[in-house]
Amino acid sequence: MLTSPSELTIPLLNRPGPKTSVTELQRVESRAVKALATLCDLPQSLWLPWAGITQRLLQRGSASIVMEEIKPLSKRSPEDVSIVIEIESVLELLAENVRLHDPNRIREYLLRFTEIIDVVPRAVDAARRHFPEAQLIMEVYEDPEIEDCYLVLYVRLKQYDDSFVERLEKAEAEFLDHLADKEGWLQLTTDFREA
Amino acid sequence: MGRKYKNPPIVEAVCEFRLTEDTEWDLTVPGLFYERVKHEFPLREQRVIQALEVIPGPQGLQHVIRTTERVLMFAPDRKILVQLGPRLLVINALKPYPTWQGLKPRIEVAWKALQEVVDIKGLERIGLRYINRIEFPPQAVELQDYFDFYPFIGKRLPQEMASFVMVVEFPYVEDRDRCRVQLASTVGAEAKTAVILDIDYFLARPRAVDISNGLNWVEEAHSHVEEIFEGCITDRLRAMFEEVS
Repeated sequence: MLTSPSELTIPLLNRPGPKTSVTELQRVESRAVKALATLCDLPQSLWLPWAGITQRLLQRGSASIVMEEIKPLSKRSPEDVSIVIEIESVLELLAENVRLHDPNRIREYLLRFTEIIDVVPRAVDAARRHFPEAQLIMEVYEDPEIEDCYLVLYVRLKQYDDSFVERLEKAEAEFLDHLADKEGWLQLTTDFREA
Repeated sequence: MGRKYKNPPIVEAVCEFRLTEDTEWDLTVPGLFYERVKHEFPLREQRVIQALEVIPGPQGLQHVIRTTERVLMFAPDRKILVQLGPRLLVINALKPYPTWQGLKPRIEVAWKALQEVVDIKGLERIGLRYINRIEFPPQAVELQDYFDFYPFIGKRLPQEMASFVMVVEFPYVEDRDRCRVQLASTVGAEAKTAVILDIDYFLARPRAVDISNGLNWVEEAHSHVEEIFEGCITDRLRAMFEEVS
C-alpha cells in the first residue's frame, strides 16, 4: 500500500541522502570508483589511486555527482536526455529545501520553458545561502493583467530587518545572468509573511 | 497495433541515437543539421551540459568537469524537440503524446538529416523510452490493484510504504537489447499519490545494429514497449486511462 504523501514529506527516491554508514560509504565508493574507471576504460589496478576521492566528494555533499557516474554500470544512457526526468530530478532536489505550491503547475511551467530548468536549482541555492534561516516557497504566478506567468520563489523570514532587501538583491544577482535571453522567468521576492 | 487511450499517461517519449566514437564530429554539424530540419523544428536553443570525466594526467588520474554544448530544436508548439550534441541525436515528444504515427515521421526526419551531414560509423546505443506519470486520488493506493509490476512486500514487513523504487532489466533478442522498467513514487500534486512508470528499451550491444537498420530497430522497440506497458498495468488502470475502442 502506498500512502498519500503529506505536502512536506514527498518521497524522494533518486536523491542520495547523506551517507553516515561506513559500509554504505565504502560500497558507494567502490561502485563509484569502478564506474569512473569504467568510463575511462582503465584497468582494475588503476582503481586504487581513486580510493578516498568519492568519500571526499560525499563529504563535500557531492554525492549526486558520484551517483550520476554509477549509471553507466547498468548500461543506462551515460547522460539522461529526458526532459521530464530532468524536471523530476529538479523537483526532488527542490522538495528538500522548498515548499512547492502546486508541483504540477511548476512541472508544466518547466516543460513549457525548458531553458530555465537549470536556473531553478541555482536560484534556490543562492536563496538558501543568503537566507539560511528562511522558509522558501515556490509557485507559478499568473499575472491576470498582462496574461503572463512566471515562477516565483518567495523568501519568508520570522523577522524582516533593514538588510533584507540588500540580501535579496545579492541572492538574485547570482542567477540573474542565467535568465538573460530566455523566455521563462524566475522571480526571487517575498510576500513579507512570517515564516 | 496497441490499445489506444483517451487519457494516456505518457508524459514523454524519447528516442535516442548515440554514435560510436570513430564517427567524426565537428562544430559545423549542428548548423548543417538545422538547415535540414528547420521546416519541422524551427525554434533553436542552446544548452550547456556538464559531465564529470576522469582522465589520466602527468600527476595520475584527474577528474575534470567536461562541458559540451547541445542544440535543442523545437517544433512550433514546443511539444516535440530534437537535441543534438556530439555523436548524440535525441528526439523528445512531450505531453500530449502525438501517437506513434505522429512521432515516428519526426524520428525519421531527424535520423535521415543526421545521416546526410555525418558519416556515421556505427551505433553505440539506440534507445526508445516512454515515461508515464500516473496520479491517483488522495488516498492510500494498493499498487496490485493497478499494476502487474510492483514491489512484493512480505506479510512480516510493514505494509505501508512512504516511497519506493523498483527496477528490472529484461533481456530481448538474445540480450542484444534490454528493457529497463522502473516503477517509482514521485512528487505528486498536493495530497495526491503519484508514480512514474519508466520503460526504457535500448540496444545493449554497441554496433549490433547496422546503421541502415536503425529505424527498423526503433519500430521493433516500439512494439516491445507497447507489450511491456500493457503487461505492467491492470484493467483497473486501463479504465482510468479510458480505452478507446
